[in-house]
Amino acid sequence: MEPRSRSFHRNSEKALANPALQSAISRTTGKFLGQRADAIAEFPGFEAARDEGSRIKGEALDHLDRHLARFIAEAEKRGAVVHVARDDAEAREIAAGIATREGIALAVKSKSMAAEEVDLNTALEGAGVEVVESDLGEFIIQLAGEPPSHIIAPAVHKTREEVSRLFQEKLGEPYTDQIPELVRIARRRLREKFLSAGMGISGANFLCADTGSVVLVTNEGNGRMGTILPRVHLVVAGIEKVIPALSDLPVFLRLLPRSATGQVISTYVSVLTGVKRPEDAEGPEKLHILLVDNGRTGILQGKYREILKCIRCGACLNICPVYQSVGGHAYGWVYPGPMGSVLTPLQTGLSQGAPLANASTLCGACADVCPVKIPLPDMLLELRGDEREQGLKAPAELLGVKAYAAVMRRAGILEALERIAGVLSQLFFKEGKVPWLPFKLSGWTDRRDFPAPSPQPFRKLWKKQRGIRPWNR
Amino acid sequence: MEPVNPKDRLIRRVAAALRGHKGPVPAAPPASLPVPAGGANRVARFQELFEAQGGDFLSASALEPLLLALGEALRLSGVATLLFPNDDPAARQVAEALVPFGPFTLASPSELRQPSGRPVAGIQSAEYAVAETGSLVQTSRGGKTLLPGLLADVHVALLSPAAFVDRMDECLAALSDDPPRNISFITGPSRTADIEQTLTIGAHGPRKVIAVVFP
Ligand code: SF4
Repeated sequence: MEPRSRSFHRNSEKALANPALQSAISRTTGKFLGQRADAIAEFPGFEAARDEGSRIKGEALDHLDRHLARFIAEAEKRGAVVHVARDDAEAREIAAGIATREGIALAVKSKSMAAEEVDLNTALEGAGVEVVESDLGEFIIQLAGEPPSHIIAPAVHKTREEVSRLFQEKLGEPYTDQIPELVRIARRRLREKFLSAGMGISGANFLCADTGSVVLVTNEGNGRMGTILPRVHLVVAGIEKVIPALSDLPVFLRLLPRSATGQVISTYVSVLTGVKRPEDAEGPEKLHILLVDNGRTGILQGKYREILKCIRCGACLNICPVYQSVGGHAYGWVYPGPMGSVLTPLQTGLSQGAPLANASTLCGACADVCPVKIPLPDMLLELRGDEREQGLKAPAELLGVKAYAAVMRRAGILEALERIAGVLSQLFFKEGKVPWLPFKLSGWTDRRDFPAPSPQPFRKLWKKQRGIRPWNR
Repeated sequence: MEPVNPKDRLIRRVAAALRGHKGPVPAAPPASLPVPAGGANRVARFQELFEAQGGDFLSASALEPLLLALGEALRLSGVATLLFPNDDPAARQVAEALVPFGPFTLASPSELRQPSGRPVAGIQSAEYAVAETGSLVQTSRGGKTLLPGLLADVHVALLSPAAFVDRMDECLAALSDDPPRNISFITGPSRTADIEQTLTIGAHGPRKVIAVVFP
């Protein structure tokens, strides 16, 4: 997918001006957050599981060479063909080659963020393959020709009326505003595809090194259909999905559904090992596993290694005040929210992704919810430092920050400025609110009032209200 | 010398990257994970969680009332045909005993590949029931089919009391030496909330899943 993260500001302006989108996002994030909180309250072992999950992922990454080699060997021992793509172009080329060699005309795909990253559909369609997204949300946005807006709920921004009009227009189905009826239509349409497709495409939530197994976690069951019925199964996954052992899986299954949707477990968890055996009743005869690097070894090398622990649960998106305000599309690439704000600059380059790292108040909520304890706010701060070091910051911003630092270091100057601002605000803003600021600063006042500066300096207020003098403690 | 195989090249690249930076110091593994174990309450815990995800649960101390309840549930869901795998004697026995309650016709799972439009129930013995999550475990071990829990409109999973385990770890440990091609944890009917966050049943898989514990 072509990144558009550089235009984050313009993208978010658009999102903020769209009331339907606003209510869809807050409905989704609010619901996920509430259900997550309930599920965790009922599971006293959650904190211990977080520590354990973070530890296992850390160990997996610190010895990723060994675990990857083991995964490849074990998977191939059981009949899989493992492919490796260094970047997105290579991944597209390999996938198109597989489809051509296997003679595929129709492929059913379940959600894979890695496939999204490398723009797999374009490559397959170029090779003459019809690719049908089978996750309901993905199916909807594929019909609409849009990218996903949430990693767990890709069509959060669509209302039932919009979905129905889409089905009417693209599938010739009668209009209905009943959600169960819409789901029935999609079920019927997709069932035909599952039964006739030559290839199923999936991502992987986990890859188990000791058995070469691919693990898929879904609620709809589309991942199950596409990995049992078609003759060929293609897995597209990032190299960081490897965990050392199948026996490590339970701890992640305790973390992922609870963090994502507040479920104790998702409806379907499939552990897929190798190809159809001679005695098997069904299952793919061919299993291709495409491991995608696409910048991951570079991340592994540096101080951001821990972001590769991410299990794509979406909890940090839901809790993030920025995501809650602008939604997923504004981030301009595959991964939105705090995890996306770290991954996008690292995978697509700092000059492209830096606006995302800056679009955060560093409130810390994401680190509090992350099931594998990734220090997301520290990484966002670190990225801003890198941006400065690489000379990518605008001179005006540097000047502003320097001036800010100079003032904040001198209590006397700060107090003098506060007094001036106080007098001015007394003169101009009687209500205690600033409704309008000029030029670039207008972002602070377009959708809300900015609180007017207090007539009294901070230290005076502090002294009065708390009765202490911080400077001679 | 540069290895020619792209897989070896990847491993080399990863190894080189790992030398560049030491990751954070790993914490010691916790002594044990406090996962609520079912113990004597295994079946009750399973039922609670399975039902919370929309599954139906049936158990009775005698066979007769159990068949009556199951037959009634299937009839109410409009089921016309019962499918069972040929190599599953328990499922065959149950299906045959259920016929008069419908009446139902019997068929083999491969017929599911040609959808007929009439609701079909797939009856199959499940290998495990996990109390920790309320999940049924169905695998392809020994060549077993997965179609009854995949394509049927109603999935009936037969459980013996010995199938119940406390945690996921136990059943994975039993399978991990030589994992079958497919291990599926199934917890309730297929669901989606992709339209307006409204929970809707039957996105792709069965619309109804009935766990039946036999005495
Ligand atoms: S960074 Fe953490 S919270 Fe965010 S998606 Fe990844 S695992 Fe979930």
